[in-house]
Amino acid sequence: MGMRTEPIHPIRTMRYLKPQEHWGWIIAIYLYLAGMGAGSYIIGTVMNWFVHPSSVVTIWGQPLDTAKAALLWGPILVAIGAPFLILDLGIKKRFLYACLNPRTSWVARGFIILSIFIIFGLVLLAKSALPFGWLHAESGLWYIPEVIAFAFAFGTALYTGILLKATKSIPLWNTYFLPLLFLVSALSTGSMAIVLSTLGSGLFPHDATVVKVLIGGEQILVVIEGIVLYLYLSRRYRASEQGKDSVRLLLFGEKKFIFWGGIVLLGFIFPFVLESIASFYHGNVWLIFSSGVILLCGGFFLRLGVLSAGIKEQIPMQRWTEFQYDLRKMN
Amino acid sequence: MEEKVLVVDQQKCTGCRQCELVCSVYHTGSSNPSRSRIKVFKWEHVGIYLPLICNHCEKAYCLEVCPTKACHREPELNNRVVIDKNLCIGCKTCIMACPFDHPFFDVTERVTVKCDYCDGDPQCVAFCYAKAVFFADADQMNIGKKREAANKFLESIKQIR
Repeated sequence: MGMRTEPIHPIRTMRYLKPQEHWGWIIAIYLYLAGMGAGSYIIGTVMNWFVHPSSVVTIWGQPLDTAKAALLWGPILVAIGAPFLILDLGIKKRFLYACLNPRTSWVARGFIILSIFIIFGLVLLAKSALPFGWLHAESGLWYIPEVIAFAFAFGTALYTGILLKATKSIPLWNTYFLPLLFLVSALSTGSMAIVLSTLGSGLFPHDATVVKVLIGGEQILVVIEGIVLYLYLSRRYRASEQGKDSVRLLLFGEKKFIFWGGIVLLGFIFPFVLESIASFYHGNVWLIFSSGVILLCGGFFLRLGVLSAGIKEQIPMQRWTEFQYDLRKMN
Repeated sequence: MEEKVLVVDQQKCTGCRQCELVCSVYHTGSSNPSRSRIKVFKWEHVGIYLPLICNHCEKAYCLEVCPTKACHREPELNNRVVIDKNLCIGCKTCIMACPFDHPFFDVTERVTVKCDYCDGDPQCVAFCYAKAVFFADADQMNIGKKREAANKFLESIKQIR
């Protein structure tokens, strides 16, 4: 007898191997921009607190601190990402209703978390980048909103994962590893975004110690992200039948190009190789730039892959229909 | 008023999909099964048909995840869980949360819709000639007996597996 693969149970129809299609690339863009914006704000704020860079230029008679602008622009990204969530709604003009049920709904809580972060973040960005005398930018009181925005940046990065985790009937998402994975990914893409913006604005020379520390930190974060991704997928593989299906779909099925091409190659291997080459050439700016852009693309594909491989748990009657089928076969 | 529930007898279902048609006509005015609130799942090659209806769960995930409170419970009308069309923003979170794949996104109205017992007179029950779907008093459904049967069933599954 020739080799035969085990047939799929005739009752397990395609429906159960099909991933969800309600949340697609629009939500992926939103998750990505919110995560990266929050992550870059976290890294930028830490740098702002400890390094205090400042380079004031005058544009149209207005003073503009480009150093602060290059570090604290994260909230703008989140503010760009949030409309994508609105774009995915059935009735877009009703988006303000989305905050009505924060007691049980994570979507509503997220609406509030993101709004607070965007408002505080944009105010702080404006205050730091436009050093008007009447703002008393050096006043210690500004630390209070800074700490609040910092905390809500963490909240935003974690929330992108919690939003998916709250969907209990999709085993691929229903785990605490997902918020953790998205947080680490937010920090790694965010630190890369800060590297790009500081280099792009000419704030630091490309061989400055700060940039080296940033890139080193970013590489460590990418390694941690890889470990978390491995743990996440291996745990989900063992979690349930549909978790297994999801991971297989992502690794070997229809979505394998997103995983191997988008997540592994663009998100991990290319940036790592390019950065290693760059370190031989005293931090060649163009190599760092290209590896940065590639890494940022990888961050998007991570969200897209996780979203598009979510398979719903089988309906509770499924086991029962299988049982019915087996009974019929016996008779 | 006695609380009533929709009950499905899967063995009787012939898979004719009449219920889908009447449901869509009643709720949307169009004879379009894709806009129906009841869905019959078919395993045609083995002859198993399973009409899936909303269970109006006691602990309803759709109600929990709805960000606008559009999805709410109406205890006075058979304890049903319904979506308020004027509050729903069409975020599809309830669709993702439901283990029964129930609320459906209506592409014409751009909101999520679900079974509302047709305000007490379910059309799927009225038109099902095989009587596979019926609307019965909740206390008459003999919860105890059902639980016993379920336990027996669980035992037999354990033996089979």
